[in-house]
Amino acid sequence: MESGSLSADLLRPPSPRRRRTDKAMRALMWTATGIALVPLVLVLYYTLQKGIGALDAEFFTTDPTGNFLGAQGGVKSAILGTIEIVGFAAVVAVPLGIGVALYLTEYGGKGRLAQAVRFFVDVMTGVPSIVFGLFIYLVLVLAGTGGSTFAGWKGSAALALLMLPIVTRSSEVALQLVPNSLREAALALGAPRWKVVVRVVLPSAASGIVTGALLAVARAAGETAPLLFTATIVKATTFNLNQPMNSLPAQIFQDLKQPNDELVERAWGAAITLIAMILLLTLIAKVIQRRSRAKGAT
Amino acid sequence: MEAATQPMSTGGRPQLGRSPASRLPDQILRLGLTAIAVAVLALLAYFFVKLAIESRLVFEEEGILGFVFANNWNVAASIYGALPLVVGTLITSALALLFGVPVAVAVAVFLTELCPKRVRGSLTIVVDLLAAVPSVVYGLWAFYFLIPKLKPVEQWFADTFHFLPFVAIDSVPGPNYFIAGLVLAIMLLPIVCAISREVLATVPADLKEASLGLGLTRWEMIRTSMLPYARRGIVGASMLGLGRAIGETIAVTIVIGDSPILGHSIFGQGYTLAAVIANEFNEAAANPLHKSALIAAGLVLFVLTLLVNSIARLAVMRSERQSGRPISAGGGV
Amino acid sequence: MTRQTTKGAIDVRFRKTGVLLLLSALLALGVTACGGGSSSSSSSGGSETAAEESGGTETASASTEGLSGTISGAGSTFAQPIISQWGSELQEQGLTVNYNSIGSGGGVAQFQENTVDFGDSDAAMTDEEVQVAEKNGTPVHVPIVLGAVTVSYNLPGVETGLKLDGATVAEIFLGNITEWNDPAIEKLNPGVELPETAITVYHRSDSSGTTALFTEFLSDYSPEWKSKLGEGDTVKWPTGTGANGNEGVAGGVSQTEGAIGYVELAYALQNEFTFADVQNKAGKFIEPSLESTSAAGEDVKFPPDLRFSMINASSSAAAYPIASTTFVLVYEDLCKAGKSEETAKNVVGFLDYALGPEGQASAEKLDYAPLAPELREASQAKVEGLKCNGKPISAG
Repeated sequence: MESGSLSADLLRPPSPRRRRTDKAMRALMWTATGIALVPLVLVLYYTLQKGIGALDAEFFTTDPTGNFLGAQGGVKSAILGTIEIVGFAAVVAVPLGIGVALYLTEYGGKGRLAQAVRFFVDVMTGVPSIVFGLFIYLVLVLAGTGGSTFAGWKGSAALALLMLPIVTRSSEVALQLVPNSLREAALALGAPRWKVVVRVVLPSAASGIVTGALLAVARAAGETAPLLFTATIVKATTFNLNQPMNSLPAQIFQDLKQPNDELVERAWGAAITLIAMILLLTLIAKVIQRRSRAKGAT
Repeated sequence: MEAATQPMSTGGRPQLGRSPASRLPDQILRLGLTAIAVAVLALLAYFFVKLAIESRLVFEEEGILGFVFANNWNVAASIYGALPLVVGTLITSALALLFGVPVAVAVAVFLTELCPKRVRGSLTIVVDLLAAVPSVVYGLWAFYFLIPKLKPVEQWFADTFHFLPFVAIDSVPGPNYFIAGLVLAIMLLPIVCAISREVLATVPADLKEASLGLGLTRWEMIRTSMLPYARRGIVGASMLGLGRAIGETIAVTIVIGDSPILGHSIFGQGYTLAAVIANEFNEAAANPLHKSALIAAGLVLFVLTLLVNSIARLAVMRSERQSGRPISAGGGV
Repeated sequence: MTRQTTKGAIDVRFRKTGVLLLLSALLALGVTACGGGSSSSSSSGGSETAAEESGGTETASASTEGLSGTISGAGSTFAQPIISQWGSELQEQGLTVNYNSIGSGGGVAQFQENTVDFGDSDAAMTDEEVQVAEKNGTPVHVPIVLGAVTVSYNLPGVETGLKLDGATVAEIFLGNITEWNDPAIEKLNPGVELPETAITVYHRSDSSGTTALFTEFLSDYSPEWKSKLGEGDTVKWPTGTGANGNEGVAGGVSQTEGAIGYVELAYALQNEFTFADVQNKAGKFIEPSLESTSAAGEDVKFPPDLRFSMINASSSAAAYPIASTTFVLVYEDLCKAGKSEETAKNVVGFLDYALGPEGQASAEKLDYAPLAPELREASQAKVEGLKCNGKPISAG
C-alpha cells in the first residue's frame, strides 16, 4: 500500500484540478466515517445513560424474581440463556454455512444444484426473523418435537436459520475473492484438491469468513422475535436445551413494557450487557485473526 | 454434483499418478460438501413449501394479485390487501439503501485505504459494534430521541421542498417512512461496511500500485481500480444489507407509525410487511385466515428480495460488459 | 518448500478450529460458572421441574406437600405484573410460574394450541374461539383481577379530569374531531379553557386486549364506529399514529402536545398520567381509579361460564365504564388435555392463591382492582370444578 506512493512520484504530478478532486473525495470519506459514528455514539450513550445504574453484582448473579414489590433480581438466566441458545445456533449454522459456501465456490460452479442453493440462500436473506420463529413454531413447537413444546434448542433452530444465509453469503463473497491463480499454483505443485481447499483457500479467506460469522452471531444475539415463540421467556436458569429458556432480548422486550422504572432500567442494563458480550466476542475473533495473519496465512 | 468448475477443472491432470487411497480425502470432501449443500437445499425448500402451504388460504380467498395489490388491510373485516405494506417495505428499504450503502462503502474505503494505521483496528471494531446493538434498542432510541429531534427538520424540509413529488405534508407525524429508512440505514451500515471492507482488502497490491504508478491520485486509484474490482462483492454486501432492511421487524414497528393506510409523502406514516407480522402474529394463530395472510406477507417478502437480487445481478453483469473487462475475482452476487 | 507450506497450513487449521474451541470454551465456562451459583440463588425446584412441563413424562410424583414444579402460561400484557408477582410469592413455596406476556390474542391462541398450562386474556373468548379450543377439552374462564382503560391526554394547561363521553371519544378517534376546542368537547367541559391545539391520536399497533376493550366501548356509543371499524384486538384505524405496547402509546402521548391515547389503568397510575373522566351508563363522569373499577364489577350479571364483559355493564353510579376483568384460561379436565397430575395440581394451587386473600391483596398493591365478592366466589367455584381424569383436584 505504502509503496504505491513511491512509484507515483516517478511520474508527472497530477494537475491541480485532479488533486482538488482527490482532496475533496478524501475529505468526503472522512466525513462519511464521522457520520457513521454519530448514531453509534448516540445509541451507545443513550443506552449507557439509561441502563448503567442497573449494573451491579446482583444484576449478573441472580435470576429475575418477577417480584414487583420487592427485589426484582438480575438477568443471570437471560445472559446464560443467550449464550446457550446463540452458541448452539452458531455451532450448527456456522460450519453448515461455510460448508455450503465452499461447495458453491469450489465444487458447485454454475451447476444446477449450486444455482438452486444460491437461489434459496439469496431469498432467505430477506426473510424477517419473525418468520423463522413462526416456521419453527409451526414445525417443532406445535408438534411437540423432543417431548417439549417451547425449548431452548428450538430457539437455536430459529436463530440458526437466520444465521445460515448470512454466513453462507458472506463466506461465499470471501471465498470467491481468493484468486484462482492461488488455487492453480497449489494444484500445479501437485497438491490434491482437498488440501488446496483446506490449506490454501480456507486460510486465505479466513478473515472474511470470520467477519461474516461474527456478523451472523451479532445479529442473532440481538433478535427478539424468533425467540418469543420458540424458547419463550422464563425466570430460572436452566442448562437443559430441551426446556424453555430465557434470553437477553426476550428479557429486554418484556421488561421494557413494565410500568416500573427499575424494570425498564434493568432492560437497558441488559442491552448494555448484550452489546458488551458481542464486543468481547469481536475482540477475541480479531485477536485470532491478527495472530493468524501475522504468521503469514494471507 | 457436476464437479467440473472453472478453478478445479485444471486439477484433473496432476492426480493421474496418484493411488486411489490418496484420492479418498478428495472424494470425501467433495461428497461431504455436496451432501451439506443438498441438505441445506432440502431444508430451505421445505421451509418455503411449508410456508407456501400455510399461506394458501389467503391466496384462495383474495387471489394472489388481490393479496399483493389490493389497497386494503383490514383485520376486523377479514380483508387482506397488502399493497400499503408492500409499498411501505419498498420505500423504507430504498431509503435505507440510499442513505446506508454510500456511507458504508465510503467507510469501508476509508478504513482500508485512508485511515491511519494506528486507529484502524479500533475504528473497525467500533463500526462493527453497530451490528451488536439489538434492534429493539435502535427502535426505542429512535422513538424517544431521533423522532423529536428530527421532526422540525423534516417539517422544514417538507415545507421548503413541497413542490417535489412525495414530499409535501401538512404536519409531519413523529413516526414515518423517512425515520424508518434512516434507522434501517444505520442498521444495515455495519453489515455492508464489514463485507465491503473484506472485499476491498483483497484488491491486489500490484493493481493498486500500478494505478498509482501511472500517476493517478489516490481517489482516482480507488475509483478506477479498487471499486470496480470489488464491485460484485459490494453489491453482494448491499444485498445482505437489503435483506436486513426488508426483514427488520421490531425497530421498524416502533418508528413507522403502523398505519395500514398508504402514506402520500415520505414523511407520512405507513406500515411494512415485516412490521405487520410482528404486530399481529400474536393473535393470528387463533384465526386461520389471518395467520395465512401474515405468512403470505412473509412470502411476498421473499419475492421482493429475489427481485431486487436479480436486478442487482443483472446490473453488475451489464456494467462489467460495458467496462469491457470482466473483473477476475468477483464476489458472489 | 512443500513441507513448509504444509506445516503452516496445519497451524492455520488449528487456529480455525481454535475459534470454535474458544467459543465453546466460553460457553462451557459460563455453564460451569453458573452451575455453582444456581444452587444458591435459584429455587430448589429448579432443575427437576421442567421435565413435567413437557407433558407426557410421568415423573415419580415426589411431591410430598405443598407445590413444587413449574407451570407456564402466556397471554395478556396487562396481567403480566400481577401474574409475575404471584409467581414470585409462590416461588417461596417451591412453585415456579413462567409467564410470557405476548398479548391477549396470543394467550388465547397458545391456549387453543395447548402449548401452555394456562392462557390469559383480557376479553372472554368468542364462541368461535371456544369452539377451536374444544378440541382439547372444555375451556374454563377464571376471572382473576379487574382492570380499566384510561383515556390519557397531553394538553398543557388542562389538568387531569377533562370530561369526555363515549360518543366524543369515538369522534376523536374517528378523526371527525380534530381540535381540542371543538364545540363537542367544550360542551362537556364548561368553564375549562380549551386551547386551539390540533388533536394527535395515538393508538396501539400491536394486537392488544386493551384495544379490544376500548373499541368495544366505542362501538357501544358510536354507530359509525361500529359499522366502520368494529371491535377487536386490531382494527383499521382511520387516523392517528400506531405505537407498540402501552409504553409506545404512553411515550407518544407524553412527547406530543395535543396528543390523546388509551392506556391501561395500572400503567397510567404508575406513570402519573393525566387522564379523562369518562361518562358512565348512569350519566356520571367518573375518574378511573381502583374504586371506580371495583364498582364497575358490582352489580354485573354474569353467565354460568363467566364469559362476560364489564364494558358499560354496571348501572352503579360510581362505576368506571371502560373496565374489564382479565381471565385465566384453563381446560376443565387438565389431565385429559395432556397435563400431568402434578401440573394440574400446580395450576389449581396457583389459581387458589391468586383468588385467595393474599393474592388479591398483592393485586391491590400493584394497582389492580380486586374482584367483587360475588365474582370471586364464582371464580373459586370454577377452580374447584377443575378435574384430572374425571377426579377433582385437591391442591396441597
